[in-house]
Amino acid sequence: MAKVNPDFSETLKDYGAFDLTACYNCGTCTAVCTLSDEENSIPRKMVRYGVLGLEEEIQSSVDPWLCYYCGECSTSCPRQAGPGELMMSLRRYLTASYDWTGLSRRFYTSKIWEIAAIMLLSALILVLFLLFHGPMTTELTPQGGVQLNTFAPWKRIETGDWIMAGILSFFLLSNIFRMYRKIFHGPQKIRVPFRLFFTQLWELIFHFLTQWRFSKSTRTTRIGRKELKISPYWVSHWLLMSGYVLLFTMIVVFLEWFQTDIIHPWWHPQRLLGYYATFGLAFGLIFFVYGRIRRDQENNKHSHYTDWTFLVLLSGTVITGILVHIFRISGLPYATYYTYVLHLMILFPMLMIEVPFSKWSHLAYRPFAVYFNGVRNAALKIKK
Amino acid sequence: MSENRGSIKKKKIGVYICHCGGNISDYVDVEAVKDAVRDHPGVSLVKTTMFTCSDSSQVSMVEDIRENGLDAMVVASCSPKLHLMTFRDVARRAGLNPYNYIQVNIREQSSWAHSDHPAEATDKAIHLVKAGIEKARRLGDLNPMEIEAVNRAVVVGAGISGMRAALELAGMGTEVFLVEKEPFVGGHTSQWGKVFQGEARGDEIVERLYNEVRTRENITLFTGAGVTAVKGNVGNFEVTLTLQPRGVKERLTEEEFAEAVQACPESVEDAFNFGLMRRKALYDRGDRSFPALQAIDFGACTQCGKCLEAAHGKIDLEQPEETITVQAGAILVNTGFDPYEPEKGEFGYGEIEEVITLPQLERLMELQPGKLVWKDKEIRHIAFIYCVGSRQPEGKNTYCSRYCCTAAVHAALRLGENYPGIKTFHLHKGMRTYGKQEVLYDEASRNGNVFLQFAEGTQPEVRKNGQGVEVRLHDLLTLGKEIEIHPDLVVLVTGMTARNDPGLVKTLKLPVGADGFFNEVHMKLRPVETVMDGIYISGTCQGPKNITETMTSSLAATAKANALISKGTISLEPNLAVIDEEKCVWCGKCDEICTYGAIEKVKKGDKEVARVINAACKGCGACLPVCPEDAIELLGYTNEEIFSMIDAIAEEIRFKEKHKVEEEVATPAATDEDWHIKVEKLDEKSKKILRTLQEEPRAVPEIAGETGIPVKEVMYRLMSLRKYGYVKDTNEINEDEYYTYALSDMST
Repeated sequence: MAKVNPDFSETLKDYGAFDLTACYNCGTCTAVCTLSDEENSIPRKMVRYGVLGLEEEIQSSVDPWLCYYCGECSTSCPRQAGPGELMMSLRRYLTASYDWTGLSRRFYTSKIWEIAAIMLLSALILVLFLLFHGPMTTELTPQGGVQLNTFAPWKRIETGDWIMAGILSFFLLSNIFRMYRKIFHGPQKIRVPFRLFFTQLWELIFHFLTQWRFSKSTRTTRIGRKELKISPYWVSHWLLMSGYVLLFTMIVVFLEWFQTDIIHPWWHPQRLLGYYATFGLAFGLIFFVYGRIRRDQENNKHSHYTDWTFLVLLSGTVITGILVHIFRISGLPYATYYTYVLHLMILFPMLMIEVPFSKWSHLAYRPFAVYFNGVRNAALKIKK
Repeated sequence: MSENRGSIKKKKIGVYICHCGGNISDYVDVEAVKDAVRDHPGVSLVKTTMFTCSDSSQVSMVEDIRENGLDAMVVASCSPKLHLMTFRDVARRAGLNPYNYIQVNIREQSSWAHSDHPAEATDKAIHLVKAGIEKARRLGDLNPMEIEAVNRAVVVGAGISGMRAALELAGMGTEVFLVEKEPFVGGHTSQWGKVFQGEARGDEIVERLYNEVRTRENITLFTGAGVTAVKGNVGNFEVTLTLQPRGVKERLTEEEFAEAVQACPESVEDAFNFGLMRRKALYDRGDRSFPALQAIDFGACTQCGKCLEAAHGKIDLEQPEETITVQAGAILVNTGFDPYEPEKGEFGYGEIEEVITLPQLERLMELQPGKLVWKDKEIRHIAFIYCVGSRQPEGKNTYCSRYCCTAAVHAALRLGENYPGIKTFHLHKGMRTYGKQEVLYDEASRNGNVFLQFAEGTQPEVRKNGQGVEVRLHDLLTLGKEIEIHPDLVVLVTGMTARNDPGLVKTLKLPVGADGFFNEVHMKLRPVETVMDGIYISGTCQGPKNITETMTSSLAATAKANALISKGTISLEPNLAVIDEEKCVWCGKCDEICTYGAIEKVKKGDKEVARVINAACKGCGACLPVCPEDAIELLGYTNEEIFSMIDAIAEEIRFKEKHKVEEEVATPAATDEDWHIKVEKLDEKSKKILRTLQEEPRAVPEIAGETGIPVKEVMYRLMSLRKYGYVKDTNEINEDEYYTYALSDMST
């Protein structure tokens, strides 16, 4: 039994869907979708659930996470109902529905809430620096670099990192648990042999690291007369993702090694890794920001304000990060210190808001969805 | 022998045998037919033609008739349905009485029917032609009958269809008596607000028609009147109208009316608002009263007289019922429909408060323009259930009511306009917003109205749920999932049913279908005519229609009626029953069987006899076999004509023996050598198939298996081999229950 929520389509508009009720069930969207298969028929089913407001069905679905928004469905839709954007808004809606704190829903549906939260967290960083920063020495290292670790000793920052990582993990993992509950204990109860959670585990790791499904999603792109087999969306995304994971790991786990006052030679792994990560992030960011400004493809035409918040915060982080590096090795102490504070004032709210509550949560939900889907389909196969 | 039958009237008959370009001559040996009838008594000319119906053939036939002084004509070609009139016209042009023409059908009845037996087809054709000739020899001259017609029409029902018809007829100079059962005109259309397609409101359409009707001097409108008897026949009906008293002589002022209504103690359910409220026995329809004169519902009135004081003498409770009789050339029936009334408990109707019908919703929207409230609750969500009383899986209303899908969609659009925030769900089993109405469906589905589809043969379920109501269905558009909706109101989109008026059906003697609607003669070719000459049907009394379609059919009926009666005379087919008054003893059996009321009892000397009312007789012949005295003949199909035809056909044996073609086939001409020569000429695949049959009979799949030729191809090759005599049916089946085939006897 699926209960209709008549006002759901209105609700979903807050998350970005625009005209889903225009759908007349032709199924063209599913027919053109390269990722739709017998086990997961997307996106028509989700469109229909959205039109009727079958909230339980939607919340127990992994389907929105299996879509990578190539936009082919929206382009082909004879009613301009925007099935691609609907899937996007369902991902936002699902993020909010997994989140038990309710903050995610606030951030997605209210700009004021989101901006206020960013301000608050930035202010917190500022206050912490005002209270706990080290001496702002102008004395340079023998190599002529700034003594950043005197102003912001890595030990203290690392403590903060670990606290933050702990908080992020707590929210994210508890939300993933809720995601699991909704998928496996929703309206269609599936008995899953426990071992499947282990045998399918490779999918989680594999998809986290590669976004392999994404690579198969996007239609081939033309550059001049040549047709590219590799999707530029996937490549850009992968560069951005790998840069981010690398940096995050270096900051949280290897901060002592990463935030050093020594100026290594250019070929040193510390610098090479940092440059690679910066390149990956910058490349991805430029690609996506440029796309969203041009609005020339179905998948970048409709930007929700949370999309921009994410991109702006990440860009700010990257730019300030690069500046800190330049100022430090150029021996500009005050510039380094202020930019460093600014860097953390952007970085911290970005991670705290985006990772557990907003757009960046997909770093966990997407691979988990593929993993859960694999488990579920394997269980269904056994049942048959 | 046919020579003994009756009197021979025609001695110079022209016979034409048509090839029909090969349709006939590919199977029937037309030259053999020609030879066979050449010397038949009475035949003076026989010709075969490639296409007898062609212009050149027709011209030469006219010449033949004139030059040879032919007195009758037989054409052996296709069905008379196709060309009877063509050749009657040829006869007429040649100066021959058109009823001296006989058409023999050797195409549908012979060449096409027996294409696998050409010899027998030829044989049959010869017999059919001979029968035609025998009939032709006995034909007398017949002439169409002319009867007088009164240029006046009675239009029954003053809804939009009736009023439109009355206006058109009046405009063409026909006097019209427009008869309405209710005290107010307009029918159901006056109950509707905005109706789909265009901006007009239902009551505005009625008002416009009514105002025009009032200005026409040659339209007489009777309200509260019914047709209670119809006598006579086409061109001259005698129609009895019974006029119910209205009770109100002069329009009451608003104050008088309010006071009188206040005084009236009797209240009944208000049918105009589909029972949403009650009204008094003294009532009107507010600003939708056409005419604007109030009326008393004498069904509810107890004549207590309490209203009289307030009415200042304008009310007369003692008015008598009146009866008048009018002469009319034609009757146009426009009696409309009844909205389907769901049975108690059908989708919760009558049991669950929140379940109403679409007509009720329409009235509710008219009565509550600002805010839609039902049982003290503002309505936000509505579920429409379609096809209630139409396309019934069980039940008699198997038809589609045509207007309701669009009406519901249109209602949803108006709900959205007039009451922002209302959301509607449409539970249908296939939308039928056909033609230009599709744009409304498109608009509705774009505007956030949600459509769900239940499968043919299933029904949504409506149940009480605590304080509210819940609707469940398996939605085909959501993978057949069971969906549950909790609306504030469930609206049953009810269809149209035939008016429940058995009295009128009986009075008019019109046939009705199993669905209760009046039947036309022919759905496509004669869509507004009935089997009763001079009585026409249009609008929804004939079947579900929307307003546009109603108007179209109304105008069609008008045109037919006007063409019939405006000339002053009506010409009728002369194929009539005639009664031999000497033999007749008036047993009344013919009168009983006649569905057209064409038999009347008359005095003939000192005995009573039956007489046929020529204008009413259709020449159906139903009275002939029931007459115990054999006193009735049908002109054009007299006993002697029919018996002579039977005689000609019964001469089968002699023809068969003589017939050349028959002999060729019946004698096995093929010897063993012939067989091998013939087989050698066949293509390889056919030879292969024949080889598999040498040992023993085989079935198609077996042959296919052995030869490697696909089953389909084996099938058609086998069939042609059978047709040309190489293979025969064994009439036996193999163990897999397939028919088997064997080599024909020719091979031995």
